[in-house]
Parts: sequence; C-alpha cells; structure tokens
Amino acid sequence: MAYLLRSALTQSVSKTTRTMWTTVQRNMSSHKKETDEEFDQRWKAYFDRPNIDGWDIRQGINHMNRLDLIPEPEIISACLQACRRVNDHSLAVRYLEAIRHKSNAVSKQVWPWILQEIRPTLDKLGVSTPEDLGYDKPELALKSVDDM
Amino acid sequence: MLQHQSRANASTVSSVVQSSPIVLDNRKAPPPLDADRMRMYPRIGNRQIVGYGLKGKPEYFDLVMFPCPSIRWEADTPETAVLRKKEQGDWKQLSIDEKKRLYRASFRQTFEEFTASSGLWKWTLGWGLIALSALTLAYDGWRRLAYNFDKPNSMSDEKLKQQMQFHIAARQGPMNGLSSKWDYETGTWKK
Repeated sequence: MAYLLRSALTQSVSKTTRTMWTTVQRNMSSHKKETDEEFDQRWKAYFDRPNIDGWDIRQGINHMNRLDLIPEPEIISACLQACRRVNDHSLAVRYLEAIRHKSNAVSKQVWPWILQEIRPTLDKLGVSTPEDLGYDKPELALKSVDDM
Repeated sequence: MLQHQSRANASTVSSVVQSSPIVLDNRKAPPPLDADRMRMYPRIGNRQIVGYGLKGKPEYFDLVMFPCPSIRWEADTPETAVLRKKEQGDWKQLSIDEKKRLYRASFRQTFEEFTASSGLWKWTLGWGLIALSALTLAYDGWRRLAYNFDKPNSMSDEKLKQQMQFHIAARQGPMNGLSSKWDYETGTWKK
C-alpha cells in the first residue's frame, strides 16, 4: 500500500510543475490513520446524538481526557449541549474544569482562547464557567484521600 | 424425581423484560431506600450511579485523569430534589449558589482543590531541622556527661602568664596584635 502511494506521488510531481509543496499525509504503514477532521467529526457525532445518556457522556469525557489532546471548541460545545439534554449542569462545569486544568498545563493562553470560542454556547445554555463559580481557586480545604 | 421437580420449579415461564429502553435514566429520582437496595449497594448507600467510572465499580473518586466518577457524591435529599427539578428548566434561572450546591452534591472536591499542593515541604523542613538540633543537643549532653575530660595543665593561670611573656618576647603581633600594646622601653603595657 505504501509503495502505491509513493509511486503515485512521484508520478504526480513529475507531471505537474509545482512551485509550492503541499502537505500530504503519507501512511508508512498499512494501517489507516484518521485525520484530524475525521477525529473531530467522530467525537462531535458521538455527543450530538439526541438521546444520549449521562452514562455515555461520562464515558466520552473520561475517554477523551485520557487522550493527548485538548478537544476542539466544536466538540466542547457538542458535549455541553449533551449535558443540557440530560439536565446535568454540574457535569458541564466538571468538564470545563478538566479542560481548564489540562490547558493550563500547556500554556496560560489556551484557556482564555477556548472560553472565547465557546462563549456563544455558554451564553445560550447558561452554563457557568469555573471562574464564575469561584472554582479557579480552591474553596474548601478538605483532607486528601491519601492522608486518611 | 425430586431433583427434576425442583429444577422444573426453578425455571421461569415468563422471562424478565426490561420495560424502559434506557438502562440508567439519571433524569429520574433514585429509587427509595429499601432492603434490596441496601443489600445491593452496601458501600454507597442511597447515592445515584451515573457512570462507568474507573473499572465499572460504583465508587467515588477525584482524579485528574478521570473527571467523571461513577456515582454522585451525596445522596439525594428533598432539597437537592427540588434543585434537580429546577435544573431541568432554564439554567439561567439558577443562581450561583444553587449551581455551587448542585456541584457539591455531585462532586466532593473541585479540580483546584484536589490538585492543590499539600504543603508537605514545610513539615519536612521543620521536622528535619528539629531532628538535627535534637541530635546536636544529645551529642553535647553526652560529651558533657560521659566523656568529660579534665582541662590540660597548660590552661592554668601561671602557665598562661608565662605563655604571654614568651609571646611578647617573640614580638608576636607587632603591628596590630599583642606586642603592639607592649612598651618595650619601659617594660610595661602601653598607656
């Protein structure tokens, strides 16, 4: 499969005269990798199901939190709307907190950008951000589970 | 004959059919507390099971890796039932305090709380310094009590006086030290 792709590329390069190289994703293995757009569409479709469960939302959130990425604002909006469908506001806040924590590990500039991108959804649904609830600083000083 | 009879009694003619298509409907109130439920959920009590969690067990956890635990933190009281009903409507009608109350009913700690630093370094440093000073004091006491030696005889007053005379004769410290304070012409200390 890889040889076919490579030969197709070289043929196309020799035929046309290109002034600019376009980025082409080439699979060196025979296993098909999905592109970023496919990934986004898949997760967006997962959360956009009209009769999604609280169970499935939590599964999706937990699974996506394990991946080495911060979800796109479209996926975040779809998940918030799913939380709205199951009438669970705390779950939406928890999800935003998880994304905030993850993005702060990367850079301090990511979280304001994400908030700015999902602001229409937040206003439409009435979801509070962690900052609105005062959860960007610790509120209660409870004993850690490891110290019990 | 008896074995076959009891086996026949055990099999059910009508199979158990689940009426609702949704297995876990977390939009309804949890079932009331009764003997069956207490037997089924001995460790979690009357709390709602809402998800898969870590390994499929109904346990609560606060982890950075898994934001959503499998059960709610608090059992549903009548007050939270009222809030849950309000939650089904427009979320803009919920006040900040009600939203915070709902959050604490579902979760024990926020992300900031369970990722906050524990301040263990203060304890470590404090106890380390205390241990160091305690060891030093113990060593000092031990030496004073157990290994207490007499002073050498060169520390007596006579011998020290003689030592000073030798130092002055050898012009020890001629600029700013001992011999600069001695008047060699008169043979006394300088005024």
